[in-house]
Amino acid sequence: MTNFLVETSWFIPIYGLIGAVLTLPWSMGIVRRTGPRPAAYFNLLMSLAAFLHGSIAFQSIWGKPAQQLTLNWLQVADLKLTLAVEISPVSLGALEVVTVISLLTQIYALGYMEKDWSLARFYGLMGFFEAALGGITISDSLLLSYGLLEGLTLSTYLLVGFWYAQPLVVTAARDAFLTKRVGDIMLLMGVVALSSYGEGLDFSDLESWAETAPVAPLTATLLGLALIAGPTGKCAQFPLNLWLDEAMEGPNPAGIMRNSIVVSAGAYVLVKLQPVFTLSPIASDALIVIGTVTAIGASWMAIAQIDIKRTLSHSTSVYLGLVFIAVGLGQVDIAFILLCTHAIAKALLFMSIGSIILNTSNQNITEMGGLWAKMPATTSAFVVGSAGLIGLLPLGMFWTLQRWLNGSWHIPWWLMLILLFVNLLSAINLTRVFRLVFLGSTQPKTRRAPEAPWAMAFPMVTLTVLTLLAPIVPIRWPFWLSLAAPLSEPDSAWLPFAIPLMMASGLLGCVIGFTLPLNRSWARSSRVYIRFFQDLFAYDFYIAKIYDLTVVWAVSSLSHLTAWIDRYIVDGAVNLVGFATFFSGNTLKYNISGQSQFYVLTILLGVAVLLWLTFSGQWSFILNYWSSVLSQVSNLA
Amino acid sequence: MTNFPWLTTIILLPIVASLLIPIIPDKDGKTVRWYALIVGLIDFVLIVYAFYSGYDLGNPELQLVESYAWIPDLDLKWSVGADGLSMPLIILTGFITTLAIMAAWPVTLKPKLFYFLMLAMYGGQIAVFAVQDMLLFFLVWELELVPVYLILSIWGGKKRLYAATKFILYTAGGSLFILVAALTMAFYGDTVTFDMSAIAAKDYAFNLQLLLYAGLLIAYGVKLPIFPLHTWLPDAHGEATAPAHMLLAGILLKMGGYALIRMNLGMLPDAHVFFAPILVILGVVNIVYAALTSFAQRNLKRKIAYSSISHMGFVLIGLGSFTNLGLSGALLQMISHGLIGASLFFMVGATYDRTHTLMLDEMGGVGKQMKKIFAMWTSCSLASLALPGMSGFVAELMVFVGFATSDAFNPIFKVVVVLLAAVGVILTPIYLLSMLREIFYGQENKELVEHEVLVDAEPREVFIIASLLVPIIGIGLYPKVATQIYDATVTQLTSMIRSHVPALTATSQAPEVENVAFLKAPDLYE
Repeated sequence: MTNFLVETSWFIPIYGLIGAVLTLPWSMGIVRRTGPRPAAYFNLLMSLAAFLHGSIAFQSIWGKPAQQLTLNWLQVADLKLTLAVEISPVSLGALEVVTVISLLTQIYALGYMEKDWSLARFYGLMGFFEAALGGITISDSLLLSYGLLEGLTLSTYLLVGFWYAQPLVVTAARDAFLTKRVGDIMLLMGVVALSSYGEGLDFSDLESWAETAPVAPLTATLLGLALIAGPTGKCAQFPLNLWLDEAMEGPNPAGIMRNSIVVSAGAYVLVKLQPVFTLSPIASDALIVIGTVTAIGASWMAIAQIDIKRTLSHSTSVYLGLVFIAVGLGQVDIAFILLCTHAIAKALLFMSIGSIILNTSNQNITEMGGLWAKMPATTSAFVVGSAGLIGLLPLGMFWTLQRWLNGSWHIPWWLMLILLFVNLLSAINLTRVFRLVFLGSTQPKTRRAPEAPWAMAFPMVTLTVLTLLAPIVPIRWPFWLSLAAPLSEPDSAWLPFAIPLMMASGLLGCVIGFTLPLNRSWARSSRVYIRFFQDLFAYDFYIAKIYDLTVVWAVSSLSHLTAWIDRYIVDGAVNLVGFATFFSGNTLKYNISGQSQFYVLTILLGVAVLLWLTFSGQWSFILNYWSSVLSQVSNLA
Repeated sequence: MTNFPWLTTIILLPIVASLLIPIIPDKDGKTVRWYALIVGLIDFVLIVYAFYSGYDLGNPELQLVESYAWIPDLDLKWSVGADGLSMPLIILTGFITTLAIMAAWPVTLKPKLFYFLMLAMYGGQIAVFAVQDMLLFFLVWELELVPVYLILSIWGGKKRLYAATKFILYTAGGSLFILVAALTMAFYGDTVTFDMSAIAAKDYAFNLQLLLYAGLLIAYGVKLPIFPLHTWLPDAHGEATAPAHMLLAGILLKMGGYALIRMNLGMLPDAHVFFAPILVILGVVNIVYAALTSFAQRNLKRKIAYSSISHMGFVLIGLGSFTNLGLSGALLQMISHGLIGASLFFMVGATYDRTHTLMLDEMGGVGKQMKKIFAMWTSCSLASLALPGMSGFVAELMVFVGFATSDAFNPIFKVVVVLLAAVGVILTPIYLLSMLREIFYGQENKELVEHEVLVDAEPREVFIIASLLVPIIGIGLYPKVATQIYDATVTQLTSMIRSHVPALTATSQAPEVENVAFLKAPDLYE
């Protein structure tokens, strides 16, 4: 039985798809009598099946070698595009994370979306989401991964646009799609370029290909940059970071998925592409630069937000920035663990704030307060989630950092500084949010806030427990992926002090967060220089404005220009010909006056011209000309 | 049954049936539409059966061939046949035209004339793809313009006469070149023949090839359309009714591409070597220029019309690529756009039936009342912007990879072309999603909601879109369904063209015939 389940583990992502298809009768309004609930239950059942199937398969494949499955998709001439799937401990482990979070989120949505009129459509999209995510985890071909990433782009678009009558959703959905699409198309160009090397486009072949690749440095750099662009959009990294923030207009359960595992899917593909980046130092450096800029910039942005979802979504960009840096340094193990730890902790945080948003109908943290006594499960989820994200208490992120800094890896000094900075600002921000939301006196909007219903509380508590257990995961299932063997001894003298320093920064962050003066009614400072920075961070460094004034403006004015050219120059030329024909026809008709004298005059003139031509020798000139033309044509023929 | 004249039957059945329409007793136009639909369905079934029984996928040559002397003095023969280039387009024609008849259900103005013209077009369009005689090709090419002209000028929008005249002038002007070129090629050399294969076998002088190629390029460039010969299209599309749209976008544009492959590539390969870079550049211009122009359009029909022009650019790039993959991609793009373009234009018609306006400024927020229309619009737009898993993506990917792997161009040219075409692919979602946003998302437009009855889609409309989406997604998930129909022919054609490129060593591009192993369970344990 287990044997059979392992053999069919490629089927796990398809459960989600089946669930999505099963919701169609309800979302299309064919079945009305039962209400949309059965659609949700079908999806839950499918997710549960995927989870159980995946768990058994994962248990039994542990320690066994990876297996590839290949489907020939398109064969034209010498080009063979295949869709390959890899069943390995790593891919099934990632699949496990996806199915767990997806299952919990779907239970959670049962409570959160209870009163929504199109529950069936929502679950259909979630099923599709889960299928695409699951597919990415086990996909072994770049082409398949690209297709599935686009699938994610699509489902993000549809989920963000779920409440399509809301004014902010209008642009948020479109922006999410377009930003990701820009990255995706560049990724596609990378795929096209790779395939022109006659490459099979399988991840497992990339490594050996990269070692022997006959690629010029410039080509390798361009290739690397193109391949980076896709994950940059997907992981909300600078300069394609704005969509994640805007996407918070969508329903919160989708936000849980998006901030934990969807962004990770992009990074997962990035990790798999890592061998290509070794070809070009510029590509690796680009990864590090993108990661650093995002980690630092988004840390600042997060700290200035007053929307509870947006502040956490910026923090997602921050941690994904760290993943980018890790991949740029070639430390893919760390990237994997970072992704996993962050996904679980962030999912928990989003579950917690979801229950706050549902019960207070409010996302503005300056209007909250005193919730800790009313919502104990939510509060503990927030605390545990935050602790899992900060390197202070021995939870997920602490152990991840410990693993990173234990001397097995080469750690440049600047990386240490970035990590300290990120940890500090994360701690400040989470403490700040915690204080505003849970501590203090109750506000008008938080006065009547009960604890979340069981459908939300159950997954929240489960995930709280999982986050507490997360540190065991890498110990129970250790794996090494990197090409480079771990260093035997630390190469920097300060490395032994790294972990204490990290804890100190976390602690310092918490202290600052607790002592920071927080004025609810005056969240925007009255002092000019503070306000300047506050606005700068709160409006995301005005990146959206800059885009409006540059790219958006350029495209729209260019399109108006071409439309004008099309109408007045290209089409105008044609109409001019038509007009000239009509005009000359109309003019000529005045010649036909009906008076015989006029006709006689015309005939006489014509004859005179002919005679003159014949007698003055002009005639031969014309004849010569035409005979030469004719002879040329016959020569051609 | 192998000797049964399938193609002749398929061409003549709708034409003969259309002649019976005047004597059908029908007062309110309800009988005649059923009649037309049934004839269309029977013909489509015949096409599928002929394909199934008489067409061999592995054979690159003409199949289902018939040839009868018609006017021996003129050497005019009724000769039809189908190879890999014709067959998929014949199937597409049967499919789209049948759906267009169904889309024409609400036509109440002169229904008898309308369905007569639809059926006449049905036969005429298939004839264009099937005939194998140059003179006959010219005749049917011209003949099929007449029903289109009439449909445009009687059932169109406010400026329908302007649009119809422009259409007829452009295409008729273009077809003069076909006639001249056809006569030149027929009378060239020792033998006088109008048979296409015989004409293709002749060896023309290079300069003459260039002239002929340029002439035919203008003629078919009008039809495809190619910048700057495209301006009839937004006007014609802007004024046509939904069924006429489906035929214009779904089939008529494909005639240009088909004829380019059949004649310019197949008959004048030396000139093609000279013209290929021009085709590629024109293709890129088409893609980027039309996509940008589409973004600025405020009229829904014109927007989609420009989007059609933009997508046809990929066909041109594929034609100029000198690779099997690129050419296959071009053909697939034609098939795929036939389906997607038809579905988008049908949706435009369905929306207009409800809002009675095409201006985006006068719409907004209608998604609340028309959920099914909203969903169908979204699916069709996603297909058009080349989402993986739908046919447009596969076709564009094939063109991209085909062109990128082409050994006939230098790397810098290739990189520039691919990047510019990619810009077009980014522009497509920009205008399509902005369009969706303006129609469906956000606040309801008070003016519109109060004055128009916005009923949701009826089953007939859902059925039409569903039947278009099935092949779109089917090809997207498993492109072999479509590509295997023409693989053999395209391989043969590509190797013929490549043998004319001096720089390329004539490497055989024969595909390795491999058994496609279906996904098997991994064998984990010994």
